[in-house]
Amino acid sequence: MKPRVCILRTDGTNCDLETYYAFDKAGGQCEMVHVNQLRSGAKRLAEYQILAIPGGFSYGDDIHSGKILSVELTSLLKDQLSSFVAAGKPVIGICNGFQVLVRTGLLPRSELGTISATLMHNDSGHFECRWVNLVIEESPCIFTRGLEGTVVQYQVAHGEGKFYTGAETLDGIESNGQVVFRYADPVAGKPTAVYPLNPNGSLNAIAGICDSTGRVLGLMPHPERYVETYHHPNWRRGHFGEPHGIPLFRNAVDFAMKNL
Amino acid sequence: MSIQEVRVTNLPHVNDPRGESLLHTIKTFLGIHSIDRIATARVYRFEGISATEAELLAQSLLAENIFQRYTLNEPIIEVRGHTSGGGISPINEAAVLVEVAYKPGVMNPEAGSIMKAAADLGISGLLAADASTEYGFFGTVTAAEVAEINTRLLVNETVERVVKDRPLTLVISGETADTRIIPIRAMDDDALMELSKDSLFLNLDEMLAIKSYFTELGRDPTDCEVETLAQTWSEHCVHKTFKAQLIVDGKPKKPLLKRLQQATVDAAHPLVLSAFVDNSGVVALYDDLAICGKVETHNSPSAIEPYGGAMTGSGGVFRDIMGTGKGARVVASTDMFCFAPPGLPTDEVPEGCLHPRYLLQRVVAGVRDYGNRMGIPTNNGSLHFHHDFRAKPTIIVGAYGIMPAEDAQMGQPRQGDIAVAVGGRTGRDGIHGATFSSGEMTHRTMDVNASAVQIGHAIEEKRMSDALLKARDEKLIRALTDCGAGGFASAFGEMGEHGGVKIHLDQAPVKYPGLAPWEIWLSESQERMALAVTPENLPRVLAICAEHNVEATAVGEFTDTGRLEVYYEQNQICELDMEFLHNGLPQRTMTAVKKQKPVQEDDPSAPDDWIQACTGIMAHLNVCSKEPIVRVYDHGVQVSSALPPFGGLPGNAPNDGVVLAPVPGKKYGMLIAHGMNPVLNLADPYYGSLWAAAEAVSNAVATGANPADLVLIDNFIWPYPDEESLHDLDQAVDACTDFVNATGMPFISGKDSLSSTYRARDGAVIKIPPVLCVSCFGRVGDVTATVSSDIKRPGSTLVLVGQRDINQMGGSTYFEITGASSSRVPQIDLPTLPRVFSAIHQACQKGEVLACHDISEGGLLAALAEMCFGGQAGAEINIPADNRADYFLFNETAGCFLVEVANPDTARELFAGVPHLVLGRTNDSPNISVQQGANKIFAVDTEILFEAWRKPMQEVFGA
Repeated sequence: MKPRVCILRTDGTNCDLETYYAFDKAGGQCEMVHVNQLRSGAKRLAEYQILAIPGGFSYGDDIHSGKILSVELTSLLKDQLSSFVAAGKPVIGICNGFQVLVRTGLLPRSELGTISATLMHNDSGHFECRWVNLVIEESPCIFTRGLEGTVVQYQVAHGEGKFYTGAETLDGIESNGQVVFRYADPVAGKPTAVYPLNPNGSLNAIAGICDSTGRVLGLMPHPERYVETYHHPNWRRGHFGEPHGIPLFRNAVDFAMKNL
Repeated sequence: MSIQEVRVTNLPHVNDPRGESLLHTIKTFLGIHSIDRIATARVYRFEGISATEAELLAQSLLAENIFQRYTLNEPIIEVRGHTSGGGISPINEAAVLVEVAYKPGVMNPEAGSIMKAAADLGISGLLAADASTEYGFFGTVTAAEVAEINTRLLVNETVERVVKDRPLTLVISGETADTRIIPIRAMDDDALMELSKDSLFLNLDEMLAIKSYFTELGRDPTDCEVETLAQTWSEHCVHKTFKAQLIVDGKPKKPLLKRLQQATVDAAHPLVLSAFVDNSGVVALYDDLAICGKVETHNSPSAIEPYGGAMTGSGGVFRDIMGTGKGARVVASTDMFCFAPPGLPTDEVPEGCLHPRYLLQRVVAGVRDYGNRMGIPTNNGSLHFHHDFRAKPTIIVGAYGIMPAEDAQMGQPRQGDIAVAVGGRTGRDGIHGATFSSGEMTHRTMDVNASAVQIGHAIEEKRMSDALLKARDEKLIRALTDCGAGGFASAFGEMGEHGGVKIHLDQAPVKYPGLAPWEIWLSESQERMALAVTPENLPRVLAICAEHNVEATAVGEFTDTGRLEVYYEQNQICELDMEFLHNGLPQRTMTAVKKQKPVQEDDPSAPDDWIQACTGIMAHLNVCSKEPIVRVYDHGVQVSSALPPFGGLPGNAPNDGVVLAPVPGKKYGMLIAHGMNPVLNLADPYYGSLWAAAEAVSNAVATGANPADLVLIDNFIWPYPDEESLHDLDQAVDACTDFVNATGMPFISGKDSLSSTYRARDGAVIKIPPVLCVSCFGRVGDVTATVSSDIKRPGSTLVLVGQRDINQMGGSTYFEITGASSSRVPQIDLPTLPRVFSAIHQACQKGEVLACHDISEGGLLAALAEMCFGGQAGAEINIPADNRADYFLFNETAGCFLVEVANPDTARELFAGVPHLVLGRTNDSPNISVQQGANKIFAVDTEILFEAWRKPMQEVFGA
């Protein structure tokens, strides 16, 4: 049976259709779920095996990106969310979804309600939409299994994507192997701090992290924006193999099929 | 209860990008170098909660202690004691502190989010919230310098103010004003015109028609009735000039609109589903789907408040798509802007106008913040500069949508249907927007029409769109339209035109009390739409809206009385015959007379320094790269792009149009492009307009579009139609209809804005250059058969395809740079053009086109350079012996293409039937070399061209 994927929506979510399509293409059975439906009890997170928080500008990204939705989740849906994670079900937050996961405290320390890292305004001071190279690190992340060491290309599109945290937390993330994606140099495939290869000035070139279990992933770049060959800006120039976003979603679906 | 204040700023060791970016602008734009650093803080104010509750908000919502700190009811940026400017302040004390807030009554979108989060956190009793920004200037900055920074960068007094003291309350209160009776029957001509001035913008004939209508009725009108007539009859809404009988050079000619529409009818394009009748034009896609397009101007609001003006421009054109047929989903946004050069000396900015660099940055920010938040990719656009835009910019925004073909036709309300207002609340926003944008801009415009602008709330519109699409899919909508210019009056007035409608204004949700009934009726508050639904469907529509946090309210019903009836509580405040409202406007007869515009024929000498000539072209504002703008737009959201605005190996080579596959998993899609050239329109309205249309279609065809699948949208942005300008306009319309007749591509939507005139205090007039923007869109059978502009490999053949006379250099970038002039502008050869389009398309279909770029501003050399940038390639070309080399390289005739194919034989085979010339070949060298016969003329490094091309916009927008 196909795993059921909850595509969580709210006011200002705007990458929901493409996230739906990516999971659908990877073999998931997707459903759009408005946060109001979870609040009213019309739907329950427990009905799903995978949770995806898509990109967008939830509630306009007022105060901080993803903040208002994070407050809503930690104030009113805390139990559902912690049960979901405790059940070992995969969670992915893309762009605004990553900002939400960090601001709920689920990333990096799996402490709902306690924020230990943040995504700040880009160093450039402005929103940036461009394709970047990402090196995939060794990590417990179930979404990137089999992809470790490869360099992929995804698009970023954000104004607040600079991963930032204190030295202690940063050390912890690094020593636990929780860094999943780093902005990389296209030639050497090495992490980079150089703008615009690193589009936002993230510490240690961090573009995406997971929790210590590897089942909760957050990343600023958009894997769902590269699931067809022609999504790549230079598909006319040659062969890039399977669209780079697909394996991420397929891994989550496979994981859910095997384990849940 | 008192106001609680929370201030939040970044920790000392964390950088402050907002402050840094402002400092960069202050240094580069204002040339002020006395500031070492700028610290920014957010200021939040709350009414109705305790200090303890405010502290909870600070900790849980406002400040993140990883990188921020906050204060409660205390300053956060220390400021040096109030000594007069100069001197060095201690390192941790700002010399000057400035807090900038929206004026009371200007809706701050953040306030609603704060209220929501506070409720989620269990804080009840919060009556009102506000957010503003504090700037601490560190260094030796003087009070005078800060005043200049405020005036020119930080504070737009139309919507913002500097906060001096803690406000006593954040709650806006007021008593509802009474409806006034306007004693129009007793007014003489002078009194009528005095009434019209600055608010109604009607002429004497129109005022007399109103007077005579009420004289016949035997009563005087209410303020609401007069305002309703003024906005319905405004140039903005009813296009009086385009509907006028014309006398052109003494001979009668049919109205402009009739001619355009007749050409569309004659074209009888098989894919057109709806043309000129709805909020946008609709054509067939595939699989029983349809696509629609609309392009709007938003010049007047953007001239006085560019950020809010651009936002509401985007929001408005998106609602046009959302309000087409039974509702469409917006899939793309486009932006075309004209400004004076950003380096314009400050003393050349006319009184009452804003500096073009400020306008440019703020307009881009407005389009960015609205489109990005709505999740609509802004992926096609252009930027044009001319000194005469200094008095008023031209701001054009387009939107495109997709919907089931069965929902493509405009709905018609029936008697008994409920009139529903959906979306944002109504405030005192944009009163007189329709009439205002129909008037000339003057030195007084900023003061008189301040209320015509507001800050858009993209999320309100996004959730409304989500809700309306769901209602459409459940077949709950009989008819809908957007509330744009003229607000409810226009929306319900138009929906009820053929039957009648009765509206109860007291039912409409308002942002704050105190609005007069006519203000609610005419308010142009954004993010609102008007629906007609049956009484049976009403509960479900309201439920869907509630599920999406969208307010929806029944405000009246549609009738069969043929009347527009408006009530506030028990009082009828408006009763007008729909017939008079919509057809009572006297048709104008307007005279157009050709004025000779003598142009000196002054050819330049051939360049001494070819490198300088080439870099001069590449660095020209109308040619240079606009990439920094595209990067701040989320042009990738919705994941539909199959040809992005910029591509090629380094990702910075421009493509000609955008190709979208908006249905996930389907290879069919659509294509969007446009063309315009204000300089040519100014030089020659007929050929300039033909150029715009040819350029629009060329941009589409260069990416592989099938010309048979393309339709057009016109936007005429013209000076006030005096006899001379009207003659130019008449010529432009002739060009459009000739183009339709020659190509079979019809216009299916259009708009005119005839207020590009500025009148100074001393009566001096600046006519802003006329602009015809032609947008082009249509379906694409297979997006994987489309073409990009970047050179694909070394050793392939470059061929020029299309008809041109290189001696037609009038209006070219090259002539402008060299100071030359000529009346001989590029004259598109209409009989040849469709054959060229067809040849390019067929070559693309055969898969023989490796790269293709159309020739426009900057000419062949600029096109070749851009193709080389994308392929990180070089090229060698040879100019035929009898041609003037500089004209050959810099001629700007539209409808010509530079094409990369495998070899010369392929080129000759593909383009046998049309004018073409094999130019040379691509290579992997880092330069472009140009020969004429055996003579080497010059070679230039592509890197030098690239730097020249990249620099101008980078200087304006930073890295």
